[in-house]
Amino acid sequence: MTHIAQEILVEYIKKNEEKLYRIAYTYTKNQENALDVVQEAITKSLENISKLRNEEYVKTWFYRILINEAIKASKNTKSFIDYETITNELSSQSNENELIENIDTFAIIQKLKPKLKTVIILRFFENLKIEEIAYITKTNTNTVKSRLYKAIEEIRKDLEESSV
Amino acid sequence: MSTIKKTRKAYNSIKIPEELNYVVNRAIHEEKIIKKKNIQICIKTATATLATTFALFIVLLNTNESFAKAMEEVPIIGEIAEVFTVREYREESDTELIDAKVPAIKNTGNTDLENRINYEISSKINDILEEAKQRAQEYKNAVLETGGSMDNYIPTRINIDYKITYQDKKIISFVITKSESMASAYQEQYFYNIDIQNGTELSLKDVLGAEYKEIVDMEVKKQIQQRQEEDYENNMYFTEDEGGFSGIDNEYQDFYINKDKKVTVVFQKYEIAPGYMGIQRFVIPNEIII
Repeated sequence: MTHIAQEILVEYIKKNEEKLYRIAYTYTKNQENALDVVQEAITKSLENISKLRNEEYVKTWFYRILINEAIKASKNTKSFIDYETITNELSSQSNENELIENIDTFAIIQKLKPKLKTVIILRFFENLKIEEIAYITKTNTNTVKSRLYKAIEEIRKDLEESSV
Repeated sequence: MSTIKKTRKAYNSIKIPEELNYVVNRAIHEEKIIKKKNIQICIKTATATLATTFALFIVLLNTNESFAKAMEEVPIIGEIAEVFTVREYREESDTELIDAKVPAIKNTGNTDLENRINYEISSKINDILEEAKQRAQEYKNAVLETGGSMDNYIPTRINIDYKITYQDKKIISFVITKSESMASAYQEQYFYNIDIQNGTELSLKDVLGAEYKEIVDMEVKKQIQQRQEEDYENNMYFTEDEGGFSGIDNEYQDFYINKDKKVTVVFQKYEIAPGYMGIQRFVIPNEIII
């Protein structure tokens, strides 16, 4: 079982490294720390793969480790949003307005509390099911749903404010 | 545009640093943890003479530069019997990375025993390395044949190390661990329990007496039950019907002496429990009789 799980995990990581990086970056707010988080999550998951009972859960199990690492790292990061860094680390779009909009929106996501940020990332950017998110965050589906509503509400409010 | 779409778009515009791929591969490569596959070895009582040991050393000296270097640092002779590193080498190629520490015993006052054991260890490790290298080569060929390229090929890591688990004037107990990692990884362990005074290798019968089987069987069954009572979920041992523990076969069951001078019986992965539970160890509380 372990060998299979390990192979699935390694394959999954290799195929999805960009996704994993984006998740980490959303918490750490800078490139260097995001790379550290990805590395640390890979190391930890490979060390602990024997604890995984069912290889069907490789993906969600790995998300859990990655997000824990990212939250841990984000605690040591400065809390304010550095627009200059964001501008550098969001790829420039052809349209300047789009870039500005992306930067604003991204700043809003980064500002969210970790719990809300996690549900937004997993639900809307990673397209995970509510049940899977509940597993990753060690909560239940009702908690996930209420966090989602709350997060969307906060983003919407902030977006409206920034566009005024 | 909806809130979700906007945020998704912003999220996807996060730039991916060039180093990412390198960081990911390095983490996978370095930390691929070796899963345990413990193979029971019945130790051959090969009667190697000093001459054959010597011959082997000459061959090694001629074929392996690192070995020649290591031999320049032969340890100074002390007074107590000990296990020491007789050779240590690293070898790096496109195919594999080898890190090996080869142990030997000395100062036992029994040259014949030392020669025999040291020859046995040395030749076993040579065989293991040869096999591992061959597997690494096969693996590399397989990767290349199936369209893989050398750019992202990760060489197999082969690691041999040893650990002394117990030692006094009469006994030396140590374990040699070989691990190999590639797409899947595994580990093998070899146990040595040596009676220095009699120049023999110890069996369970030697350390626990004629009743060794009853003692071990009862103790292992009792501890399996205890572990399951404490935490059933993490201790899903196979039942007897499933091929689980029903008693040891003979006195050559793998074991070592732990730091408290107690016999520790070892079962390889999958032997009595599902693979995720790894190697299973049972400390036998009985005093050892030598």
